[in-house]
Amino acid sequence: MEDLLRTALLTAETQDIAYADVRVVDPQRSLYLAVRNGAASALTDARSHGIGVRVRTDRGWGFATTSDLSASAARTTARLAVRLARASGRTAPERLRVTDDPGPKEGRYASVVEQDPFEVPRDEIVALLSEAESRLHVDRAMKSGHASFQAWEETKWFASSDGASFRSRIVQVGAGISATAVRGSMVQRRSAPSSFGGDFRQGGFEFVQALGLVERAEAVGREAVQLLDAPACPTGSTTLVLGSDQLALQVHESVGHAVELDRIFGTEAGYAGTSWVGAEKVGHLRYGSDAMNVVADATEPGGMGTFGWDDEGVSAQRTPIVTRGTLVGVLSSRESAARLGLSHSGGTARADGASFSPLVRMTNVDLLPGDRSFSELLEGVADGVFVETNRSWSIDDKRLNFQFGTEVGHRIVRGEVGPLVRNPIYSGMGPEFWSSMDAVGDATTWHLWGLPNCGKGQPVQLARVSHGAPAARFRNVAVRGGSR
Amino acid sequence: MRSRRRPARDPVAASVRDLPPGASADLRVIRSAWTTIRFANGRIHQPHVERSTHVSYRVADGRRLGTATTVDASAEGLASVREAARTLARLAPVEPRFPGFSSGGGRSRPPGAFSRATSGISPEAATRIAERILAAAEDAAPGGRIAGAVNVGGETLRVVNSSGLDRTDVRSIAQASVLVDRPELDPPVSGWSEGGHWDASELDPEGLGREAAERVARTAPETVAPGNYRVVFRGPALAEALQFVGSLGFSGHGEEEGWSCLRHARGKRIAPESVNLVDDPRSRATIPASIDYEGTYTRRVPLVDHGIAGEAVTDLVTAGRLGRGLTGHAFPPEAPWGEYGPDAAHLVLSAGDASEEELIRETRRGLLVTRFHYVRVVDPGRGVITGMTRDGTYRIERGEVVGPARNLRFTDSVLTLLKGIELLGRERRIYAGERGMSCYTTPSAAVRSFRFTSATLF
Repeated sequence: MEDLLRTALLTAETQDIAYADVRVVDPQRSLYLAVRNGAASALTDARSHGIGVRVRTDRGWGFATTSDLSASAARTTARLAVRLARASGRTAPERLRVTDDPGPKEGRYASVVEQDPFEVPRDEIVALLSEAESRLHVDRAMKSGHASFQAWEETKWFASSDGASFRSRIVQVGAGISATAVRGSMVQRRSAPSSFGGDFRQGGFEFVQALGLVERAEAVGREAVQLLDAPACPTGSTTLVLGSDQLALQVHESVGHAVELDRIFGTEAGYAGTSWVGAEKVGHLRYGSDAMNVVADATEPGGMGTFGWDDEGVSAQRTPIVTRGTLVGVLSSRESAARLGLSHSGGTARADGASFSPLVRMTNVDLLPGDRSFSELLEGVADGVFVETNRSWSIDDKRLNFQFGTEVGHRIVRGEVGPLVRNPIYSGMGPEFWSSMDAVGDATTWHLWGLPNCGKGQPVQLARVSHGAPAARFRNVAVRGGSR
Repeated sequence: MRSRRRPARDPVAASVRDLPPGASADLRVIRSAWTTIRFANGRIHQPHVERSTHVSYRVADGRRLGTATTVDASAEGLASVREAARTLARLAPVEPRFPGFSSGGGRSRPPGAFSRATSGISPEAATRIAERILAAAEDAAPGGRIAGAVNVGGETLRVVNSSGLDRTDVRSIAQASVLVDRPELDPPVSGWSEGGHWDASELDPEGLGREAAERVARTAPETVAPGNYRVVFRGPALAEALQFVGSLGFSGHGEEEGWSCLRHARGKRIAPESVNLVDDPRSRATIPASIDYEGTYTRRVPLVDHGIAGEAVTDLVTAGRLGRGLTGHAFPPEAPWGEYGPDAAHLVLSAGDASEEELIRETRRGLLVTRFHYVRVVDPGRGVITGMTRDGTYRIERGEVVGPARNLRFTDSVLTLLKGIELLGRERRIYAGERGMSCYTTPSAAVRSFRFTSATLF
């Protein structure tokens, strides 16, 4: 692989360019095993490889990729990237600037894996999924049960013309179950440990075994059926307690994306959108209450966004984003950091395999725990709602106006978790919402959740990220029940 | 679409011929070349060229199914991916109603439409399209901030199975989008235009750039109270809504699992008589696809026929489970597509005879909505979706656009939208997904009432 890296890099460097980097990924693997209503569902063993060459002239970027790992294809791909950089810089109004980042720029990174998920006998995994899925079917109203397992491996070689060189092997894994109950036109779903595939972690199969899918399945199925008879969530402005998994998605959508510096500078305007955060406000913008502390930590053990170096060869970092409610940092790449006047990149330029250019992405963006136990979050709440597990999510293109639906809610009555309510939906505007957070759960309520499918860019690429989040309490939030 | 004799040592055909007893298989080989040119802040900032091969190999061990994928289409690569798929198939739970792979039959068909120049476009030519859009938008809106993308390329899809099916399709696609905004207004306003075609020479880059620039309002947007409004939806907004009509109402997967919002409405009226919605992958008015990803010939399938709801579409697995025939709507069997099931992804909505001005003129008080953002399902059984308006939302009063509105969140059912269509525009455009796997051909439309549940600050 080193020969291939050198071949591509030398081909690019001989053509009068300012910079080049080369990524070879081999293998990029994923394993998807799922059981739906007793039958297999899209069992997939995916294996690919590729080379990606990115080139910068003084005015333009070029990126080319191929799945052909021959030396001749590497040369052709490098020349294509150079052609594209020259063409794209032809009409550029100004020269490109990037940061000069400190080292170390060489080394190796590997996930800590006790039991390699690709070495686990697959019949054992399918048997586990089948057992869990079958236990979801507790009632005739249960129309669909689903249990799934996913694992990814990415082995990558990286080299750049400014001396960065690393190799990494990242292994990630996760699993989950979900139950869908139907009566008439009413559809209710419950999932565990969370929705959209469950929970995910960088590591081995030991993480999946610890999820207890089989043990949790009957309760999940029962709650899906119970939701068919539950009253609709009450409508009004109320005290809302978010469970850890829903708060993780709230952090993702209304903090993580909003502080991506490429969005802030408008380079995602045509697709993903921009941000309500202005570049000039970094360092003093009031983002939320004093209880709000957020970090982006690419060094966090087990995080889906943990790595040794990003895809520009910049070392992984832990960056404070919000401290006591004030925006103090952003997610950045070498180019966007230079534009903001930062001395170095935040090291969050990430690409999906070798087939895409790196973009400013989330790593592990965590809301840090506070000092309240879960019961203390409920204390003094005469009437409110506690919601968990995302069902739908939507937010505007500046990351301000959001609306989230969750699978389940419970009334909070006189400081206690009360009866089940169906179809809870809450909505608001980011800054007001975060300012209304008056109590944050302690470490016993905090969990690091993995999200495997954050889409961004054109062509769209997926990033796997994590969010640590506690439970937390918000005042005067608009909540309603049902879609009508 | 071509059906021709393959060379004797064709490794693709050979790999499905010598399967072990009890096994059958189908495979897809997709060879693609794409160029994407993104621009923002007046410059090209993310150009991308891609040359790739993708092999998707599904093995049935009896009625147990497993799929593996690779980028290696050599004989060795195919042998390896077949073994990986077979390993999964042997441990899979049984799919009791799997009907087996079909030989297809029927005469070969040519592609609906294909442009070799488009599928083989050079990086420089794709860049020039982006430069033309940028120049036109800058001319029409000096000082505006311009962003967008051009995506041009094509692919060859070959599907082979152990029952003797061997079909190939070639596809070309060109699409472009452009956003112009005026940051000096508080809050800023923006205008949007997009279009797609199977032939890049039909894109009209200057027209797209001008249209986006001309749609930018000259005044700051005003707040509109949430509520029910009569709405004129432009093509991009309607195309996104139609996508959810397809997935929530006409997917065999939703039908089988009981959550389709139309499962109790087949054969019943769900829209006015003027509304005809067909899935028509062979039409030159879409990005044509002659076969689906199981090799079934595509055909015109009426979904809403003069307002009456038709049946759900199928692939091999859902056809077996539902006891119905194949409609030619299979996506690749591997995850994630295999989890979504079949989809009506070449939707064509009938045109009417109204210009956009006439749609607006017929609206006493309402909204003109250009496009949506971040649309998600709230309640599949009722077809309820939520999302934001974006890049051009305007207030209509007494039949005229009187100014821009701050963007709104809608939460309503796609069935309400279909039922409420009162007028259809006469100009239709193709709005294509990124690689042409899905595309929606639609005019603008005036809808009697649609529910907006909140407003944002811009």
